[in-house]
Amino acid sequence: MRRNFLLTLLISAILLIPASAQRLTLPMKDGSVRFAVIGDTGSGSDKQREVGEMMAQYRGVFEFEFVLMMGDNLYGGEAPKDFEKKFSEPYKALLDNKVKFYATLGNHDQSLQINYANFNMNGKEYYRFKKGNVAFYSLNSNYMDKKQVEWLESELSKDTSDWKVCFFHHPPYSSAKKHGSDPQLREVVEPIFIKYGVNVVLTGHDHVYERIKPQKGIYYFVSGAGGQLRAGDVKETSALVEKSYDRDNHFMLFEVAGDQMYFQAISRTGETIDSGVIARVKH
Amino acid sequence: MKKRKYLSVVVCALLATTALAQNKSALAPPPISPADKAAIQTFEKQVNDYINLRNKLRENAPKLSKDSTPEQIHAYRTALEQSLRSARANAKRGDLFRPETADYIRRTLKLEFQGKDRQQLRDTIFETETQGVVLRVNYPYAQSAEFSEMPATLLAKLPQLPKEVRYRFVGRNMLLVDRESNVIIDYMPDALP
Repeated sequence: MRRNFLLTLLISAILLIPASAQRLTLPMKDGSVRFAVIGDTGSGSDKQREVGEMMAQYRGVFEFEFVLMMGDNLYGGEAPKDFEKKFSEPYKALLDNKVKFYATLGNHDQSLQINYANFNMNGKEYYRFKKGNVAFYSLNSNYMDKKQVEWLESELSKDTSDWKVCFFHHPPYSSAKKHGSDPQLREVVEPIFIKYGVNVVLTGHDHVYERIKPQKGIYYFVSGAGGQLRAGDVKETSALVEKSYDRDNHFMLFEVAGDQMYFQAISRTGETIDSGVIARVKH
Repeated sequence: MKKRKYLSVVVCALLATTALAQNKSALAPPPISPADKAAIQTFEKQVNDYINLRNKLRENAPKLSKDSTPEQIHAYRTALEQSLRSARANAKRGDLFRPETADYIRRTLKLEFQGKDRQQLRDTIFETETQGVVLRVNYPYAQSAEFSEMPATLLAKLPQLPKEVRYRFVGRNMLLVDRESNVIIDYMPDALP
């Protein structure tokens, strides 16, 4: 009798978990750093809202603590109603659950966004924060001036974190047809990333998903379809890319556990479009 | 085995040194003549005069913290924009980009943008959607328009600006804008070669 009851309970619980969330590929290790990534979100479209809802569903099984935003947080105007429609409403479920968002500025973003409480930029266009053994650097790739380059070099030079993750809008490497790689930005930041052992670089701008083949030991991702989409924009034949996807909007999940960083890219409808693990190279 | 490990460490060190050396030369500004130096100093002084004025006006704008609401941001931007426009009602094109400054900047741009390998740089700037931007001194940059990314290699060579103001491209034109209010302080037509 008791066994039947337990079996019924188990089956009910399985049925209640959305089908998509069952496809989680992340290991969910104790004490790991868990976060999500979205880029080019601020369209206020139904698709953006649906991505937000899927993120909330996944959070039901993978409790990520915070979300990194890759820029273009608000397209078009930036009146109070725009913040509502293009940010607060699509991610309401996450915000209600105290999930923190950390933003970076894209080429559609006004500088005053740095003062918006829910973007957690602390009034700065570029900033650093740390979670567990991971240091995160949000950079302003719209305006990579000398002051910012010097700040980045100074901060990285004294950073003893196991993992160093930089995130900003413009991708140093991308195969997408609309924008593609940003060689001028790469010329300036890549030598610094190499010198100070940056492990992973997360970007947006191109409205697709791309995992770039490691470049000089660094893993680059393009995640720019959280609210916008440029279908058919990836170059299927590019030698630069390990995995790409441009058929639907997406978001990403990350889990850092010791020397392993696990990632999973998920489409608006819950399909896993890429997953894997990055092993930390000790510098 | 030990020898191979040693060799790979040496190669990595060499690669990093070469990359950083190339990086330093990519960021080096072009040689500056005494006349250029004087032009840059005049420009920097005028920029500082502008900053002093805007920071004074800012004191009268609603306060803005790092934990602001969208309403507070909107109120601050509107107040700063209005007070700047009113205080600089007589501002005109060429007030800061004087002929000698404009000449130096044009030469710097020409050097940065020459060569086949810089075609992509031009493409990046020209693909920026800037419809709706009216090039008019003391008027705000259209909120609905995107910003062109300022190439990092170029920013290292142009006269350095305080954090309150920014260079920006609209097509071939180069603008000087207020970072927070987005008011166009001055602009140079046909700055890009």
